[in-house]
Formats: sequence, structure tokens, C-alpha cells
Amino acid sequence: MTCILRTVGLTKRYGGKTVVDNVDMSIQAGDIYGFLGQNGAGKTTTLRMLTGLIHPSAGEIELFGTAMQWSKGKAMARVGSIIEYPGFYLNLNAAENLEIHRRMMGMGNKTCIDEALATVGLTDAKHQKVKNFSLGMKQRLGIARALLHRPELLLLDEPTNGLDPGGIKEMRQLFLDLARRRGITFLISSHLLGEVEQLASKIGIIHGGRLLEEIGSEDLRKKTRHCLALKVTDEQKAAFILEQRLRTTDYVVSGTGGLRLYAYVDRPEQVSAALAAGGVGVREMSVSGDSLEDYFLKLTGGEKFV
Amino acid sequence: MFNPLIVSELMKLKHTKMYLLVLLGAFPANLVTLSAFLPKVTPDGAPAGIDLQDMFYRQGMTMTILAPFIFALMIGYIVSREYQERTINQLFAYPIPRVRILMAKLATALLLIAATSALSCVSTVATGIVASFSQSIDASALGEGIRMNALACLLSFGTVPLAAALSMVGKSVIPASVLGAFAALVTLIGEMGHGARGLLFPWLMPYWPVRELGQGLEQIDIAAYAWPGTIILAATFLISLVFCILYYKRSEIHSGS
Repeated sequence: MTCILRTVGLTKRYGGKTVVDNVDMSIQAGDIYGFLGQNGAGKTTTLRMLTGLIHPSAGEIELFGTAMQWSKGKAMARVGSIIEYPGFYLNLNAAENLEIHRRMMGMGNKTCIDEALATVGLTDAKHQKVKNFSLGMKQRLGIARALLHRPELLLLDEPTNGLDPGGIKEMRQLFLDLARRRGITFLISSHLLGEVEQLASKIGIIHGGRLLEEIGSEDLRKKTRHCLALKVTDEQKAAFILEQRLRTTDYVVSGTGGLRLYAYVDRPEQVSAALAAGGVGVREMSVSGDSLEDYFLKLTGGEKFV
Repeated sequence: MFNPLIVSELMKLKHTKMYLLVLLGAFPANLVTLSAFLPKVTPDGAPAGIDLQDMFYRQGMTMTILAPFIFALMIGYIVSREYQERTINQLFAYPIPRVRILMAKLATALLLIAATSALSCVSTVATGIVASFSQSIDASALGEGIRMNALACLLSFGTVPLAAALSMVGKSVIPASVLGAFAALVTLIGEMGHGARGLLFPWLMPYWPVRELGQGLEQIDIAAYAWPGTIILAATFLISLVFCILYYKRSEIHSGS
């Protein structure tokens, strides 16, 4: 897979304070990368460095295979972004704001404006002045602007801020569609666990400026799966009983007498009955495994996520 | 590449009060020049006709007094609104060198200054054309007047990067407006005093072509201060332009910028 965005040792310091600390991030083509962290974790600062709004104190950014400091112009032409808040010229209407973007990006065809507005459901507000827009409408217009020049990579900083639950759902669907149909790669920062969980194919967890973990959503699901943790007298025999009597292979033998069973989590009595009937003694049985939130809390040192 | 940037900058001014500001800058000069229609007589008692040179002189004086404030407001708004309306994030994320963005903003300001200067002499030129049907008009006075306006417009641009620099640093139109108001006041005092030394004040340099045009009226030699004044203005322009370029290139856009 092609690496679209890579950072090596990306660091930002203000005075003596390190806001982003040695971040090594890697995003492959087609990824929806959820950049998860609490407010103040360093998400926006990282995104600002990626868009060239602030200069890194150390480290490198590689966009589309080229070091960014040498090719900011070319690379940024392939990137769409909303950083922190979608700013617009409030005296102009939606179409005029997008027209300015079209000119700045050097695009010839004006039809892209209508297309972008239609994509985010703002066709009817085309001639409405942006000063009369709600925050949710501005977010949508920001996404329309980010999409206008058909970017390959979208950098979105908290893109669902200000949207109502219905709007959030629509945006989520839009991002998934764009990733699937247009092959757009996304980097979406958020402090909302649920949002990232439902969208991302890969998740980067940042805390205190440090990227604690980059993990595929499948791996994360496995890590946070609930199971029955068993201590039995004979784990080999127990495994045989699980396969023969309970017809499941969804278990892992985890050491002397230890067994983690991912099926029957809600029916432990059936498991103990089957094992007892097979002559295997159960010394301990408990439901184990973290929720996604617990996993993040452990990783980030116990501070509460929203 | 400049062209789409300048067009974009002009588009951003749509539905703003910028065009009203252009008219506001031009209107007083037009009003003052109409005083040429007041009844006048020559020293020998005969009614005096329309004196184009005198009209251009009055127009130039009025214009150069207002210019520091009006033009500082213009560039101040063009630069600072990007910070105020938080459009700077997107502006600096474009695949366009920041210096080009700055140059487009300055070029837009120059266009507005040129439009204000051109509109400020509309009544004088129109009067000259109308009067030419009833009396003999000195065509060279018309040419001299237009030349004076072109030069004053160019010299007025010399202090624009300084106002731009203040707007960038202050991220508001207020510092540039305060500077403009102060400069306009000093210019007013300088012009009322008719002192040639005032040309050393950069905002008074546009007054030089006006005074030059008025030599026939006042016979005051200001040539001695023209070059030092030009050097000071050029230095002001260059230093503030270099500052603007470096500031735009190096500035970081943080939350709330």
C-alpha cells in the first residue's frame, strides 16, 4: 500500500514546553485515520504542522512520498483541510466563498462548486450569505470547500463540531462513501471515542503530545473484546470439550490451566456445565476484557475521555 | 498566477463598505474643486474663467490630506480581516507561496488607491471638458493635473506596507487606522503650514507633486526637500515591505490567530 502521509519525530516546542513530542505517524492510501486524543493532547498542533500553518521544531513530514518542506505547494494541491474552525468571508454567499477557493486552487471548471455543495447537501443555501449560516452549515460548507478540488487526502480537525446527531451520522456516511467511492484518504481528529470507533480503519492515540499507539481498528476490536477467563484443571481436555460439545473454536489457551473463551460470554453456566460433564474442573471463571473506553483510559493514564 | 489572486482579493471585498470608502475618499476632493465655480475676478476687475490648474491643486491638496487615513484603513482591512474572520488558516494552507498572497493584497490596495485618486479628480476633468466648449482651456494643465494625480497615487502607496505591517502584527484594523489618523493630522498641519520641510514626513510626500503643480500659484521652492523626502519614503516602503514579507513567511497560525 502507498504511504500517503508519514511523520518522523515530528515535534513542536513553545519555549520550554513540548506540545507535540516525537510523533511518528503513518497513513496509507485509503485509510480513514482517526486521530484520537483529549482536548489539548496535541491533535490540532499536529494538523497545523501538516498543513504548513506552523513550523515543526524538529522532525519530518512526508506527503505523497516527498519531504514537505521541498514540495509544500505541489503536495498541498492534493490535500483538502479544515483546521479547527471553517473560516469564511461572511459577507459572501456559499457559492462565492467556494469560487474564491476554486480560483486559489487554479481550477478551471465552475461546475465543481455545484457538485461540492450538492455533496454536503447545501445546494439550497448556495446563494445564502455565510453570515446567516449555523455552525453546522459552516462545517458542511467547510467540507464542501475541502472537497472542491478533488483532493486525495483530507485533513479534518474535529469535523463534526457543531453538528446535530443527525448531521453527524450524515457526515460519517459521507466520509465512508468518499473513502470507498473516490478513494480519498482521511485524517480525522476527534476527542469523541464513539465517532472515531465508527469511522476509522486505523486509530492513532495521542496524549500529552505523544502518539501512544497506532492500531488498526480490527486489532483494537480484538484487544477490547470481552471473554470468559477460565482456570481449569486440564486446559487440553477443556479445549476438546469446547469444540466437541459447545461447537466453538473461538478461544485461546493462555498458559497453565488458563483459557480465554470469546464465545458464550453471556452464557457462562452452559460452559461450566459442559466442562463439568466432561470431567474438567473449573477453578475460576470471570468475564474479562476492556471496553474501548477502558482501553483508552489505561493507555492514557486514566484520565476521562468524553 | 497573480491575476487569480488579485481577482480573489477583489471578490472578497464584495458587499463590504470598501467601495463606499473609495467614494468617501474621493468625494471631498470633488466637492472642494467645485469652489472654482464661485464668482471670481482678476486683479483688473474682469471675471476670471475656470482655472484647471487651481482646481487640480485644490483637489490634490484635499486628496493628500485624506489619503493617509483612507488608504491605511483600506490595507488594514484587507490584511486584518483574514485574522478576524479566521480565514487565515485556509489562506495559508493554499499551495501558493505566502509572499504571493501578500503581493496580491498590496496590489489590490494599489488598485483601490488608484481608483480613489481617479475618482477624486472626476469633477475637475469633467469641468475642464465642459468648460472647453465655452472658453479656451489650457490642455497642458489637464495633462499636468493627471500626471500630478498619478504621481501622488504612487507616492501614497509608499506608506501602505507600513500600515499593512501594523495590521498583520495587531491582527486588527485599529493600529493601521490610528497610524492613518495621526498621519492625516500631521499632513493637514504640514499642508496648511505650506512648509517644504514637511516632505521629510513620508505621508506628506504625495503633497510634493501637488505643490509642484502649484508652483505657479505659490512660488515656494520645495525642490531641496524632494530628494531627501523621496529617500525617506523609499526607505519606509522598503523596510516595511521586507518586514511584511518576513512576517508573512515566518508567522505561525495558532488557535485564535
